[in-house]
Amino acid sequence: MIAFTEEQEDLRAVVRRFLADRADVRARLDSGEGHDLAVWRQLADQLGLPGIAVPEEYGGSGGGPVELGIVLEEMGRVLLPSPFFATVALVGQALTASGDDAAKSRWLPGIADGSLTATLAVAEESGRATDLTTTATGGTLSGTKMFVVDGHTADLLLVVARTGLFAVEGTAPGVTRTRLETLDRTRRLARIDFDGAPAVPIGESPPRKALDLAVVALAAEQVGGAQACLDMAVGHAKVRVQFDRPIGTFQAIKHKCADMLLAIEAARSAVYHAASAGDELPVAASVAGAYCSVAFTHAAKENIQIHGGVGYTWEHDAHRYLKRAKSSEQLFGAPAAHRARLADLVGI
Amino acid sequence: MHDDDFRARLRAFLVEHHPGRRPKDRTERLAWQKAWLAKLFDAGYAGPSWPREYGGMDLSFARQVIYQEEYAKARVPGPLGTGLGIAAPTLVKYGTAEQKERYLRPMLRGDAVWAQGYSEPDAGSDLPALRTTARREGDEYIVNGQKVWTSSGDIADVLFTLVRTGTPASRQHGISYLLVDAHAPGVTVRPLRDLTGDAHFCEIFFTDVRVPVADRVGEENGGWPLVRTSLGHERAAGAMNQAARYRRVLDELIELAHERGATADPLVRARLADFEMRVRIMRYTGMRTIADILARGEPGPASSTSRLFVVTFEQDLHEFAVDLLGPYGMLGRDDPHAVQRGRWVWGFLRTRASTIGAGTAEIQRNTIAEQLLGLPRDPAMPPSSR
Repeated sequence: MIAFTEEQEDLRAVVRRFLADRADVRARLDSGEGHDLAVWRQLADQLGLPGIAVPEEYGGSGGGPVELGIVLEEMGRVLLPSPFFATVALVGQALTASGDDAAKSRWLPGIADGSLTATLAVAEESGRATDLTTTATGGTLSGTKMFVVDGHTADLLLVVARTGLFAVEGTAPGVTRTRLETLDRTRRLARIDFDGAPAVPIGESPPRKALDLAVVALAAEQVGGAQACLDMAVGHAKVRVQFDRPIGTFQAIKHKCADMLLAIEAARSAVYHAASAGDELPVAASVAGAYCSVAFTHAAKENIQIHGGVGYTWEHDAHRYLKRAKSSEQLFGAPAAHRARLADLVGI
Repeated sequence: MHDDDFRARLRAFLVEHHPGRRPKDRTERLAWQKAWLAKLFDAGYAGPSWPREYGGMDLSFARQVIYQEEYAKARVPGPLGTGLGIAAPTLVKYGTAEQKERYLRPMLRGDAVWAQGYSEPDAGSDLPALRTTARREGDEYIVNGQKVWTSSGDIADVLFTLVRTGTPASRQHGISYLLVDAHAPGVTVRPLRDLTGDAHFCEIFFTDVRVPVADRVGEENGGWPLVRTSLGHERAAGAMNQAARYRRVLDELIELAHERGATADPLVRARLADFEMRVRIMRYTGMRTIADILARGEPGPASSTSRLFVVTFEQDLHEFAVDLLGPYGMLGRDDPHAVQRGRWVWGFLRTRASTIGAGTAEIQRNTIAEQLLGLPRDPAMPPSSR
């Protein structure tokens, strides 16, 4: 069961207000980093957001997946290009959950104060997170990782290898990073080749939990993106007049919007539950991963349709949401893969 | 008492007093079901969300969830008629002290079965067009007209009815809410077969039926806003109930798929996983709605969309089940070869009503769009009401 506390609602309001002033994503897309470093500094220095889910003993504010989910939902609304997702949602959570005290003391304080950026490298050339070929032996790591979020800029790389999770410095010898041309220009991806790069093992258990947390974090972001599409569509339907009536008076448009809301509310249920799932995380993450992806893409497509010709133009933001939605579907496993895992987990 | 103890005690009661197999004969079945509801009430296990003063249990939300889950698992008969979910909240909110005292306990105990008299042949989705009239004569109304698609009409004792007390052109502003004795002179109930071949609903004719003014709920001509009443608590509990029921139904479907060797097919697995996901989301939404009520005193937007979510789910689920049966999906319920007594095929047919009854899915979408999203009203339509 989940209801947000007053503090959590306040957090949402603060983040939303902050992002509302800085949501012009287009200005940053062509920079080398793919995001605005000044905004990242403000997020850290003014709001302390990178430490949102880092334990207090490591300099964070001691929140958990729920607080993080709130922030990500808001960032998803504006498609904020930011190292936040990779650094905080992927690596911060993975380290916190790793049970590796040495790793935590070494890197979490930097993540919490925003001085260290990081990312999680999962998929390989197969595109999958299974059948891994990346191997670590004698303190070095070799292999190729693909589709690494912000992999071209991150200071720290957390790599999922055959035998567990490993940390590699982004600028270490034996690391070659190549930026990929992406469908979604608001989220940069990289290919990283490791050739005997120095690597530190993290924790002892397989990194499955890190992946589940990543899926849930992405799902939260997807809910925010879907909501933004609905807001845009509804706003347009209220003012766009055709046949002497706002198009929102037409049942065909009403029903599209109602169905979007239905999917978004269901997606919210899935992601809020997953954020507080505890032992049920694997199942809850699979449900959220399967449902939220589809809901976001659905909302993004309908938003373009409701905007008609306007929605099909480059100048309008609608296409950016579609691109983010379609890319996000594949980031940590396609909906079909999440369904298959769910089937395995519940014994279908 | 600890929650687990509560669960264990409730489960033990339901197992120990389970009324056995459902009789095929309709009259026997009604008696069987009434006896069960009375037993439940007398043991203090009826009306989980109801106030104690009306014989309910007044459980916390956490306990209501447990109650609904155990009740669904136990496969015991559900409530009779449609009063509990719809009329009872209206009565609790708008009824006089005397009406509550007189009607609520018997409804909960199953002594009086309630059925809804809203729809008419020419007033389905366009309910404000209804024409059944109630003319006032002293302390009574004289009711004339026809209702249709009344679920449980043939076993009803009380009909909660919308009637026109205003001018014919008054639309929703001239409607009153009356409780009509289904056994009163002038009430004729005729069962109406639906596409499953069963007679779940009825048409009802009123010819000079006399209804005491004391049986009007709310103001004269003020019945329309009452249509909308559904207490958030009831809605949340209802959502949990659905989720618990479909958890069980899906488990049975998965078992069927295993038995028939169908889960070797990755497409079948994917479809089943999709239902698994949706049935879980149904439960999460119910819990979220309850959490909203606890935190803010009212349910959030998810409770308004959850009904659409459920009806789509149950239609898809049953149609998939029929597909799973292959050629056996062509058999009717009475054929000895029918799989599981034809329940899936019957469900496929029965759930056609899911997107029609109690307001069509189209009307629900209009309501969501206008009331939740603030889209402008279609000038050709009256303000949405349910």
